Amino acid sequence: MTAPALEISGLGKSFGGLRAVHDVSFAVPAGSLTALIGPNGAGKSTLFNLVTNLFLPDAGAVRFFGTPLAGMAPHRIAALGLLRTFQTARVFPGMTALDNVLAGAHRHARAHPLAQAFWLPAARREERALRQRASALLDLVGLREFRNLAGTSLPLGAQKLVELCRALMARPRLLLLDEPAAGLNDAETGELAGLLRAVRDSGVTIMVVEHNMGLVMDIADEVVVLDLGRLIAKGSPAEIRRDARVVEAYLGPAAEGVR
Amino acid sequence: MAQAAQIILGGLLQGSVFALVALGLSLVYRVTGIINLAQGGFCLLGALVYDSFAVQLGWPVPAAAIAAAAATTMFGLALGAASFVPALARLPNSSMLMLSAGLLTVIEGLALILWGSQPYAVPPFSGERPLAFFGVRMPSQGLWIAAAAALVIVATWWLLARTATGKALAACAENPLAARILGVDVARLTLFSFGLTAFIGAVGGIVAAPILSLQFDAGHFFTNTGFIAVAIGGMGSFAGAIAGGLFLGVAEQLAAGYISSLFSNALALGLLLLTLLWRPQGLFVPGRRRRHDVRDEQRLYRAILRVDGRGAALAAVAALALLAALPALLGEGGVQSSLTITLILFIAVLGLDVLMGFAGQVSLGQAAFMAIGAYTAGILATRYGMPPLLGTLAGLALSILCALVLALVTMRLRGAYLALATLTFGLLVDQLAVGLTGITGGPSGLVGIPSFAIGPWTFATPSAMYALVLAVIVALVLALAGAMRSSFGRALQAIRTDQTAAAALGIDVARHKMAAFALSAALASLAGSLYAFDFHFLSPEMVATPRSFEMIAMLVLGGEGTLLGGLLGAAVVTLLPTVFQPLADYKILAEGAILMLAFQYLPAGLLGSFVRLLEPRRGRRAPAAGDAVKALLR
Repeated sequence: MTAPALEISGLGKSFGGLRAVHDVSFAVPAGSLTALIGPNGAGKSTLFNLVTNLFLPDAGAVRFFGTPLAGMAPHRIAALGLLRTFQTARVFPGMTALDNVLAGAHRHARAHPLAQAFWLPAARREERALRQRASALLDLVGLREFRNLAGTSLPLGAQKLVELCRALMARPRLLLLDEPAAGLNDAETGELAGLLRAVRDSGVTIMVVEHNMGLVMDIADEVVVLDLGRLIAKGSPAEIRRDARVVEAYLGPAAEGVR
Repeated sequence: MAQAAQIILGGLLQGSVFALVALGLSLVYRVTGIINLAQGGFCLLGALVYDSFAVQLGWPVPAAAIAAAAATTMFGLALGAASFVPALARLPNSSMLMLSAGLLTVIEGLALILWGSQPYAVPPFSGERPLAFFGVRMPSQGLWIAAAAALVIVATWWLLARTATGKALAACAENPLAARILGVDVARLTLFSFGLTAFIGAVGGIVAAPILSLQFDAGHFFTNTGFIAVAIGGMGSFAGAIAGGLFLGVAEQLAAGYISSLFSNALALGLLLLTLLWRPQGLFVPGRRRRHDVRDEQRLYRAILRVDGRGAALAAVAALALLAALPALLGEGGVQSSLTITLILFIAVLGLDVLMGFAGQVSLGQAAFMAIGAYTAGILATRYGMPPLLGTLAGLALSILCALVLALVTMRLRGAYLALATLTFGLLVDQLAVGLTGITGGPSGLVGIPSFAIGPWTFATPSAMYALVLAVIVALVLALAGAMRSSFGRALQAIRTDQTAAAALGIDVARHKMAAFALSAALASLAGSLYAFDFHFLSPEMVATPRSFEMIAMLVLGGEGTLLGGLLGAAVVTLLPTVFQPLADYKILAEGAILMLAFQYLPAGLLGSFVRLLEPRRGRRAPAAGDAVKALLR
């Protein structure tokens, strides 16, 4: 059996006295679409930041397809094929939507800057191919027409889609998505679900933080639930729906009887 | 012992003046996040207006001082209301910095017209006889300086800490948007703080006037020392500005007294560089390290210029044809040599565009790399008879080395802090160029630099040099355009606005920043070497820090991130003095006014505005992205 795409063991991080993430362990199987859910403040985004070393963990370890990520610079982690998006879309201002997506190709761009400077045929061919692929990706989320507009001039939901395309442009092995459906309406969310499934079926492992339960239950193979920085449940969507601790975490102890 | 006390006392007095300038800079920085380079202009105006009232009109000292402070404050308010405050809402930080530099030029230009270019010696308030305590002598003006500084400091402290206005100013500084939502009139308060700093500057200028030699261009002196003081003390901090000012005054006097007056400035600069690297938040400010300015990020939005490939190629060929034909049209002579210099400066501006326009790293030290290139090539050619091409390459190597070291040590500095660190580096190189007379020839310059040559080909005539520089530029623009439209350029642009997101895509931020620094320094160095070979003579002020500001002006004026925009900017800035020559005394004011208006009303630069003109409607008819996206995703 191959190593899991992501193996998190005993991960912990405190901010001052607050334990944002405490002794969390779980694995994301390769090729799966795993959802990470939990009430606000559960530590989901912090966990993403720990995995990508934007924050340094106080305890624990993270392995990416068996490779330990401890102490690795964020850009090296991305270079390995672990790509992420951010909770608030971080589209680069001053760049068009297309250039934003193209920036995602960085880890694949083979042409040396000098080859680019001398307009060598190989560099120009590569650039042309990248532009085609970036346009095709924007086409996939219906934004092709807007590829030459400033990325930041698009509405928030579209910016999140640009960011998703940018991460896909990098041909990730594991994709960490932080609330990709924020700012999308129901129909758009449906489109996104189809896209994410297609991405997973093409062999990319996905872990997604999402508040839209409909979307999570629809697309996830596995669901991991965090509450107050601790892992409280893990299982298939059907199992999670029945889990008393999850219901309690979301609705409070009194809700037990209501259900 | 008495000598030490004498020196320290002198330092404290000088430091009080620095502290007042620093206080003004600090106030505006706190409220707006902008370093207002015009601050020294208010000191200058205060001092000169006081001289007119007290000496020319013979008013009593108190009346003249009050009238001068009032007049300067009114002028400051007018300038703020007409230019600084409205521009703040629209312009990115680099443009605001240059706008304030333009304001300083306007003030100095005005001073030149009203007061002429002769120096003024203002009499002390209460006689020439120095006071003496226990063998330590102090000019009587010292008491006035100390008293005025103390009074202004206490009053400002009271205003900031104890009044509702002070609280509102603090709110603007913390979060302008939230302050506005809570009903604080941010624009009015910004104007108020601008007027207040004009007042503080005027007071500093008035009390310091008798101990300084005043000339129309003394504004730069005030701004520079205040800038250094505020950075040593801690930007945006009240106590830091005062402590920094006093510290700088004492340190400079001690260095001048015990080491050498020539290197007292270099010492102050070294001190500043160490401070920036070791404690960027300032020596006298407790608390967290603050290396970058969060407000920078909100100002990085920039209009996107799109020119279709064929149009751009056509325009470039037309421009090239024009440039190639110009010498034939104009004939050899003064105009051609200033054209060559324009093109040489454009090479350095290209480098600045890579660093600032694409990678978003503000550098006020570009002229220092020109100096390294110019002096290395010049010295190797004149003293050691080395071929010009080899000297140029040696300059390139040295510049790249210096740039890599500078990039490494300033790696974590951003925004205003990086600007300061690069400025300090530039001023240090200036000091060395002036001070190391044995090597550089010092202020009297390096003479007898040969013409540029590659092997047997010598570029001795102005036309040959012009053709060479033009060819170099064509090659450089093509190469940079190729790199900037590809992944290298995109990585730099990503770093400009969001380093975290760039790293999350696998972009090695540190390596790209170092590459941008090295590339930018290399181009400046090349420009410097060509400049030396073109001019056959080199003096420190040809490649000194004002040149760095001039090149930023060229870049911002032409349009950042456009490569070719810098050419328009360089042409305008180099040719302005020639055009305004007949205006004589009005020249500086006219230049300053034009730059100021351009920064204020052409935020996308000349090239940007030009491109906009060519496509007037497309922008307005841009599809409403929101609705269409919804339609497409449904």
